Amino acid sequence: MLKLIQNEWVKIWKQKSTLLMMVLVILMVFAAGGLMKYFDSKEPPAKSDWKQELQAENKNLKQNLEQMDMAAPSAIEYQKKQIAINEYRIKHDLAPDQERTVWTFLRDSTDFISFAGLFVIIVAAGIVAHEFSWGTIKILLIKPYKRWKVLLSKYLSVNLFFLLMLAVVFVTAGITGFVLFGSGEAANNVHLAYVDGKVVEQNLFFYLVKTYALNSLSVYMLVTMAFMISAVFRNSGLAIGLSVFLLLMGGTITNLLAAKFDWAKYSLFANTNLMQYFDGIPLVEGMTMTFSITMLLIYFAIFHLLAFGIFTKRDISV
Amino acid sequence: MDSVVELKQVTKKIRGKTIIDDLSFTVQEGEVFGFLGPNGAGKTTTIRMMVGLINITSGEITICGNSITKDFEKAIKQVGAIVENPELYKFLTGYQNLQQAARIIKGVTKERIDEAVALVGLSDRIHDKVKTYSLGMRQRLGIAQSLLHNPKVLILDEPTNGLDPAGIREIRDYLRKLAQEKKLAVIVSSHLLAEMEMMCDRIAIIQKGKLINVQSVRNEVETDKKTYLCDVNNRKQAIALLAKHHIQATEHTEGIQLLLETTQVPDVLKILLQNDLLVFEMKVIKKSLEDRFLEITQEEAIMHA
Repeated sequence: MLKLIQNEWVKIWKQKSTLLMMVLVILMVFAAGGLMKYFDSKEPPAKSDWKQELQAENKNLKQNLEQMDMAAPSAIEYQKKQIAINEYRIKHDLAPDQERTVWTFLRDSTDFISFAGLFVIIVAAGIVAHEFSWGTIKILLIKPYKRWKVLLSKYLSVNLFFLLMLAVVFVTAGITGFVLFGSGEAANNVHLAYVDGKVVEQNLFFYLVKTYALNSLSVYMLVTMAFMISAVFRNSGLAIGLSVFLLLMGGTITNLLAAKFDWAKYSLFANTNLMQYFDGIPLVEGMTMTFSITMLLIYFAIFHLLAFGIFTKRDISV
Repeated sequence: MDSVVELKQVTKKIRGKTIIDDLSFTVQEGEVFGFLGPNGAGKTTTIRMMVGLINITSGEITICGNSITKDFEKAIKQVGAIVENPELYKFLTGYQNLQQAARIIKGVTKERIDEAVALVGLSDRIHDKVKTYSLGMRQRLGIAQSLLHNPKVLILDEPTNGLDPAGIREIRDYLRKLAQEKKLAVIVSSHLLAEMEMMCDRIAIIQKGKLINVQSVRNEVETDKKTYLCDVNNRKQAIALLAKHHIQATEHTEGIQLLLETTQVPDVLKILLQNDLLVFEMKVIKKSLEDRFLEITQEEAIMHA
């Protein structure tokens, strides 16, 4: 099995496009850091009395809140959360992020996960389909390994590639952030979360790892889906197209649906954002962490049942 | 001689249509077994079933006693195969392609890779990317790849497709050598009759998914008797005369036809000449496989008409 994975790994890296993807991701993080530094230097953030500002902001928020009793419950919750966090900052003398540090940059770098995920989807979409279009599936499947082992080795290789991509984004963002923005004041490096109507302090590094993991989840589900399409339809174009479309639009579509229909909560994207249970408000009322995890596991199982079920049974006639 | 590959009443249906119909034959070690039939007869389908690429609707295929469906891993260990074209990773070098195969099969050493490369004569180009290879070189690399693990059976689908005459000859000699020296069972398919006749020991002819006939190519070697055609002036008299000497002869459009051992030929001539018959010609009729093939397939066609 390990040897099969090693083979897949060699094939992934011997394709020139893979190295290009890696370089693009690194450049993207560098460039984003550079641009932020450039704009900051042109327009340095004003050092004002943040306590006064937060008080003013809260006053506004509270006024809003009184006027919007007809609004969606999630919007009201969001305002309450802002107010609570602001009050906590004032009380404990914790200034909001006024300047960029390696920590804020790392937090923002979760946006690159989707970008890196795009490349992982491309690899996942090709890893089975290409063997069919190259015809090499025939030499692969007449080796003394059962088909499910071959497919599993491919899926695990995709997972490895995904982990590597995440590590590359994290490390590159860490280095870029540290070089460009420094580590900031130690006292301010906590994360404030709003849980059950209360504000709690969280360790920033732990928070970042968790953020990375949770942000990767939706991409991971799409990677799995792309892999499934690749194995079932033997078509990398379809797998890339559909997965990337959902990567870009899935969240938006689900939000639109969720505003109107209750059943939207059963869709994949309503559940991929587990951050909503830590830091915000569930998309549809009544959704819980357990519900989402169950839904994700069901989707995961369906993808793999399809991929393995069809791949191991089918006649290979390329 | 042990039978290495065995097909028992193999049938393949795709969407209700019978592609392969009740196919049974065995292949022995040390022989080159040909699989002959017109395009679309089901050669490739049968080969795909033999290597487990497609399912068998009914019947069984065993390789060294292991069923390809029930005991896939054990059975396929004894098989090296190229199905249709030699498919290789074009972005890898020849050597890396072989490494891919070597890595996942136990017991394939670096020395074995070098040996296989030398065997197919690719030593000086093995570290070039496969996309720079000619078709013949790919074919040879494909063979090296399928021989790496010292299989008992080598299955090649249309191995001479797209090769130049020199390449065809090279492959042919090489396959014969493998069968003779390494006791491999070699199975090749083709729609080219002459080609098969030169390469194979036995040939199975299939048409429309059915096995029509299994023929030994070197009939004469096995029986010692040959068919002769004798052009003689009085055929009836000649036949009667020979019958007296217990030699059977039949009339033929160009003379009389006899089945004789070589040592009988002077006797026959003596009898005819002593009785003042005029013999214009005496020759061996060697029926080529092509005649047999056409004969057999035509018979079938007539039977079905």
